[in-house]
Formats: sequence, structure tokens, C-alpha cells
Amino acid sequence: MAILIASDTRVLIQGATGKVGSFQTRIMRDYGTRIAAAVTPGKGGTRIHEVPVFDSVAEAVSEHEVDAAISFVPARFAKDAALEVINSGIGFLVLTAEGIPELDILTILRSAALQGTNVLGPDTPGLISPGKCKLGVHPQTMFLEGHVGIVSKSGSLSYEVGRVLTQNGMGQSTVVGIGGGPIWGLSQEAVLQKFEEDPETTVVVLLGEVGGRLEHDAAKYIRYHMKKPVIALIVGRTAPAGAQMGHAGAIIEGQEATASSKIKALENAGAVIARNSTEIPELMKEME
Amino acid sequence: MRLLEFQAKRLLAEIGIPIPRGVLVTSLKDTQKVAFPTVLKAQIPVGGRGKAGAIRKVEHADNAASTVSQLLAATVKGYPVQALLAEEPVEVQRELYLALLVDKQRNSPLLMSFDSGGVDVEESAQKAPERLEKQYLDPTAEIQNSVVRSLAKTLDLKDSKALTTFVSKMWQIFKKYDATFIEINPLAVTPKGLVALDAKVVLDDKAAYRHLDLFSELKAEQQKLDGRVKSQPEEMAAARHINYVPLGGDIGVIADGAGTGMLTLDMIHDAGGKPANFCEMGGMANAEIMHATLEVVISNTQLRVLLISLIGGLTRMDELAEGIVRYLDQNDRTVPIVVRMCGTMAEVGLPMLRNAGVDTYEDLDAAVQAAVARQQEF
Repeated sequence: MAILIASDTRVLIQGATGKVGSFQTRIMRDYGTRIAAAVTPGKGGTRIHEVPVFDSVAEAVSEHEVDAAISFVPARFAKDAALEVINSGIGFLVLTAEGIPELDILTILRSAALQGTNVLGPDTPGLISPGKCKLGVHPQTMFLEGHVGIVSKSGSLSYEVGRVLTQNGMGQSTVVGIGGGPIWGLSQEAVLQKFEEDPETTVVVLLGEVGGRLEHDAAKYIRYHMKKPVIALIVGRTAPAGAQMGHAGAIIEGQEATASSKIKALENAGAVIARNSTEIPELMKEME
Repeated sequence: MRLLEFQAKRLLAEIGIPIPRGVLVTSLKDTQKVAFPTVLKAQIPVGGRGKAGAIRKVEHADNAASTVSQLLAATVKGYPVQALLAEEPVEVQRELYLALLVDKQRNSPLLMSFDSGGVDVEESAQKAPERLEKQYLDPTAEIQNSVVRSLAKTLDLKDSKALTTFVSKMWQIFKKYDATFIEINPLAVTPKGLVALDAKVVLDDKAAYRHLDLFSELKAEQQKLDGRVKSQPEEMAAARHINYVPLGGDIGVIADGAGTGMLTLDMIHDAGGKPANFCEMGGMANAEIMHATLEVVISNTQLRVLLISLIGGLTRMDELAEGIVRYLDQNDRTVPIVVRMCGTMAEVGLPMLRNAGVDTYEDLDAAVQAAVARQQEF
């Protein structure tokens, strides 16, 4: 099972012929991801790592069945590329680009909502269901097949926690990066809901940070709807107000955006709070 | 980019939104251009200027000089005042609040209004949330008449035509210039119609490539009027487009991811150390960026030890190790360096660092403990 992607997910890749896209396409293929088609305007008819390349998404889906798409298209062309995927009726899109203008993201997400496409990102490393499917850039050696669901704003933090869990023999069902914000397609709450419904996931790790108020919505969901145990780590406890801490969304504007208010909300919702990555496997052992 | 008031108002005026007549004053000499009575408003990028004494009314030219010199010599909320906007006073019948912004919970543009604007609007809106009107807008469409009709009713405005023009011009700015925030507070009802008495506008930095001339003009103006004294690493970081946040301690931090960077700060803090800075290189870091970032962070003279926290996903550890080794070759080492390295190509990067005599760790916890121990040796 796992969530959002599984071993039989058929994937389309946008921007697979660029430097990053090509490198990541080869890694995903070697990992076992079923890559059906690639799309780069002007390169239709060629192949990249044995994958057939099409000029448009419409042409690709007329010849191949596609369940999910991942875009390595740079920020300034990302809207057009995303709308192509959405209008072709593909149900799931991973948007890796960082720096897409907010108006473009709003336009993408509105079309996606109308057409019923789930969008992960932007500014996301994507997701990995270890041993089954990799739709993104996660360093695969840090992950192991298992039953822990991870949802994270930060890519690097999900690698860190995946690595620590894997070292302790605690594998993961799916590791999802929702992106650095400040606007998100799938939210933490939406991903938590999928983990709650997934029979393969037994425990969930929520990785958040200062900025915005997504974690408060997540806390509400945990409090009223989740039966599975949740361990939460919120980083940026020592970040100063007003400073942008790397991610576009990681800036403390208002009380709800602070780490302490998020930690309190999650704690009140019944989540177990970790202070750092190494505490997570210890807390997990205590739960058993 | 948050615009200064006079920049925001210039943008509004260009598109046809009425603003008070005004002139920019950057020196005592400029006072000659001012018509009296006038309202002098310090041009600094922070709210609450009125309460901080940075907005003053002057009735006659006779007492202008002392007020102008006082204001231009003041530092308000950390910003030395470099310019004043001198505006003609407006006869205000009522003050309203109007804002157009990106709602990050609903992923939608949001038009927000309140029937009494001014400095206490946040407080008033909290007390009477039912009077705060919210309209979610379709980012791909024009503003619907029904939206403005409903707005006019909430604001108790008889002339909904003037409001229609006003709101559609705000929407035009929002879309044309990639604004993510336009706040008119107060929006004044005057005998001559609606006037934007104050304006806060934020443009989307990620869309700068679509408005290169506008952004470079606004940025140049802001740099000229920014009187803050920046530290050397801040100056260097700005010139190299590196994200650098000074934190006042003595343990330098460089990370290749925002999340692990913040985790590193928290762990240093928990171990009893004090971070000197936060510095994140981003997922596209390579040897050059690593090298440039080292120059920035190590230029801080308060530094006692530097912790480099790397977890290779998109970034390649062999490339970052190359940047570190090159820096050490070119510089006499002034601070001890501790490196946490794992992930993509770390099997190549780690031996490179060890050969150069760098203290390396694969686990973050061990690296943090080592860095804090080194700092406490002083």
C-alpha cells in the first residue's frame, strides 16, 4: 500500500532532459519506479534513459497510461507545465521547483482543485515509498521499507529523520515532503489523513518548522480524527522573529507562527514531542 | 519586497488610485518644496509609525525646520530615518480599511475590508469579527460586481461606482506587478471621494524576473535610504545573494538545508552553545557556493568555531568537500571547523576532508557536541 504512490504507479516526468531532471530520472528508474514517459517540448521522438520523450503531456497520455507526474521544470516555466499535467487529467503532480511566483502557484492550485489533481509542493523533494516507488530526489540509501509514515516541510529534515530511523531498523511506509512554502498544495493535514487511512502505516512522524500556521491545522486533525500515534518535531525553536530561515515559509509573523505555540498545540492534541532527530527512535521504542 | 510608503503610493497613483499630494524630503533644504500645512511621515519599512512619533503635523513653514531636522536625525524601531514624505492634509469624513492579500490557508487571493480603518484596526476587528468582510477571489478572473456591491454595503458606502474603480485598480496592481499584499489603511472618505491615506505594498521577489526594471529601481531607492549599519558578513552575504541571519553568538553555522539548519541551531542551543548565525546554501549548492559561504561566515570576528551541517540529497558531498578544502588551502585557518557530512557522495567527500585535517562526523548529534566542546575550550 503506502500512500500516494505504490510499486505499480506509472510516472510521467517533465524536464527529464535537463541536468537535474536527467540525473534524477536515472536514479528513479534504477530504484524501480515505473517511468512511462517523459515530456520536453521540442524533444519528442527521442529517448532519455530508455524512456520515450514526447513534445506534450497530451501526446504522452494518448499513448501511455499515467498515474502521476513529477516536474523538474524551472520556476519561470513551471505554471505552463503544471497546467498541462492538470488539463490532461493526471491525478497527482509533484512540483519540485523552488521560486515559483505566488500568483502562478495560486493559478496552478485553483486549476488543480477544479480538475481533481492533487499537487505536492512546490519546492518539494517529492516522496518515496521505500522499496516500492521513488518520485523525487530523496537519497534512497537513508530509507528502508517499513511502517513509519513521515510528513515534512523540509526535505533535508526528512532525510535526517529517515536516516536515524533506518539506522535503528525502523523502516518507513512513505516519506512525503510537502515543500518549503509559503503556499502548499497538499498540506500536513491532508497527508496525515492519508496515513491514518493507510493500513501499512502504524505510526506517523510530523516534521514542522517555524512560520505559517499549517501545524495548528495538523494539530486539530490529530486531536479530533487520528487514532494512530504521532511523534512531532518542530525545528526553529531558537529562531528570531522576523528573520527568514531559509524556506520562504519559515518566518515568524505572529504568535501562531512560533515553534513554541505549534509545539503546545501538537502536545495538547496528543502528539509526542521530540526535541531533535535522535530522540525519535527512542520515543518510538517507548511506545511499543 | 516591502515597499516604502512613497514607493507604494507612486505605484497606486500611476494606475489611477487617488493619493494625497506629496513630496519627498531627504534634507532640510527640501523643506522649500513643501506646501503648508503638511503631514511629515518617516519613510521606514515598519508599521506603528504614528504611535512611535514618526508622523508629525506641521502647520506653518516657521516651525518646519526644527521638526524636519528632528525627524531626519531620529532612529525609529532600529531604522535611522533618511527620508520624509510631506503630504497635504486631507479632510477626512470616515476612515475605512481595505486589503488585498494571498490567503495561505485557502490558497486564494483575499479581499478584506473593515468599516473603520486607522491605527487600531487589528484590535477593533478582533472585538467585532462580524464586521470584517472577507471575499475570496478567482486569481484567473476579473473582480465580480457582486463582490463590490457586498463590499459597499459592509462599508456603508453609497457610491459603489467609486469603490468599483478603486478595487479593480487594486486588483490590477495585484496581478500586473505580482503584489502579494496591498493594504490601504486608512482608506479615507473625503468630500472629493475615496483617497488612499496610507499604503503598504509587498511585491513577490520570486516574480522579480517579470519586472526587472521596476524591481531594480525600487531596490536602488531602498538601498539609498537604508541607514542601518550592517556587519561585514551581512554586507558580504547580501552582495553574494546568500541567506545569512546574524544571531549574536560565537558558533558559526552553515547548512545545506533549511530544516537541518534550524535543527542544528536548536541542538547547539540545547547543548549550551550560542549560534553566531544561520546560513543555508539551498539544494543547488556546489563547490563555488560552499567556498563563498565560508568566506561570508568566517568574516565574523566573533566566531570561535564553525559547524558545517551537511546532508546530501540534491547536493553532492564530494563537491562541497572540494569547496571546503579549497578554502582551507587559500586561507590561514582562523577558527576550528567541525563538519557533519552524510548522504549523496559522502563516501568521497569525507576522506577528502579527513586528508585536509578537518574534524568530521557522520551523525549530527556528535558534530554538535564536538563544536560546543571546542567553543568552551576558549
